[in-house]
Amino acid sequence: MTTLTREFTKGLWDEIPIFRIVLGLCPTLAVTTSLENGLGMGLAATFVLVCSNGLVSALRKLIPADVRVACYIVIIATFVVCVEMIMKAYFFTLSESLGIFIPLIVVNCIILGRAEAFAKKNGVLASLADGLGMGLGFTLALCVLGSIRELLGAGTLGLFFGERVFLAEPFAFLQQAPGAFVTLGLLLGLMNVVGKK
Amino acid sequence: MKTYIQMIVVLTLIALISGLALGGLYEMTHELAENNILKFKKIPAVADLYEIANGKLPPAERETIEEGLLIDKRYIELEDNSQALFFIVRKDGEPYAVAIEDYGQGFGGDLGVMVGFVIETGDLVGIGITTMSETPGVGTRVRNKAFTDQFQGASASSVFKVKKDGGVVDAVSGATISSRAVSLATEKARDFYAEHRESILKAIDQPSGDES
Repeated sequence: MTTLTREFTKGLWDEIPIFRIVLGLCPTLAVTTSLENGLGMGLAATFVLVCSNGLVSALRKLIPADVRVACYIVIIATFVVCVEMIMKAYFFTLSESLGIFIPLIVVNCIILGRAEAFAKKNGVLASLADGLGMGLGFTLALCVLGSIRELLGAGTLGLFFGERVFLAEPFAFLQQAPGAFVTLGLLLGLMNVVGKK
Repeated sequence: MKTYIQMIVVLTLIALISGLALGGLYEMTHELAENNILKFKKIPAVADLYEIANGKLPPAERETIEEGLLIDKRYIELEDNSQALFFIVRKDGEPYAVAIEDYGQGFGGDLGVMVGFVIETGDLVGIGITTMSETPGVGTRVRNKAFTDQFQGASASSVFKVKKDGGVVDAVSGATISSRAVSLATEKARDFYAEHRESILKAIDQPSGDES
């Protein structure tokens, strides 16, 4: 049980995607213009990550090593298309604002990375725990980035408050792509300072 | 040899099961998704045409009009027994124009354009982009007013092609393929209206809510 907890919690801090293993930066930089987008993207990726980790792990004895990456990609792509269809049916506005980045979860390095680095060598339960932890860690990272960029860049926090909460003039720069790099860079630096003992 | 067969069998099975599962899910969700596209894409495009015809509307009034359009959908029967959807744009309560959607092949697949035609003359009221999957920041610029406004009031006999192809449409620079798709969709809608004007007029006269 302790190892399961460990597989789960490592994704939340020690190996938190984005900040520690620095994978999956494309959606990170692109969609985190608001907290809501970051949360939606994170949860969509978490769903795909948990499902694909579980299935890859369940099939790990069956999949021949030579075609494993092709098999992983088919499995991942299937779950991504599921997410896309469900979002279009039930969360249309969110799927509009995330746009192309939902289908692009297929090529998110974190997901293929966890399948290759973890799920193919470990049991189903451990892989599910790993996927959930990594997914929530990714979501957490996107939410932090999204909140900072939305709060300081647009002055709002649409998920919680209707109107502007940041009273000074917002720095529109943070909403643009370069602002994403700067915010991410500063956060990475901060994480390195905090992490070093 | 055995491993080759195993590779083929496993990969085929995974792909097959995935395909079946996705097909099933599509059946379950595509109706909801199409309703969403109608509500969030097509109806607002028609409401924009309303605003071109009547001038800017207050948000509350626009909302009433969008709700009305969701109920007042009109259909005409085509030769191949399928139905074509269109909307009525009213001015001072009277039918003034019809809105027809058509598609052109863009850079990332079909690009939908809602085109409004003045009933009397067949001239354009304007256009609105409904659905597209163009490159963000490049092809998506065809949605900008600077591009779509040039279609306002265009004559029915205009050649809807980009200038490079000998037409009248000013393409968005760097987005020629997307501009071509919009032009083609507009042209197709124009030809559709010209061809089916009779049955469209008949469908307008029928009482609203008749969807069969």
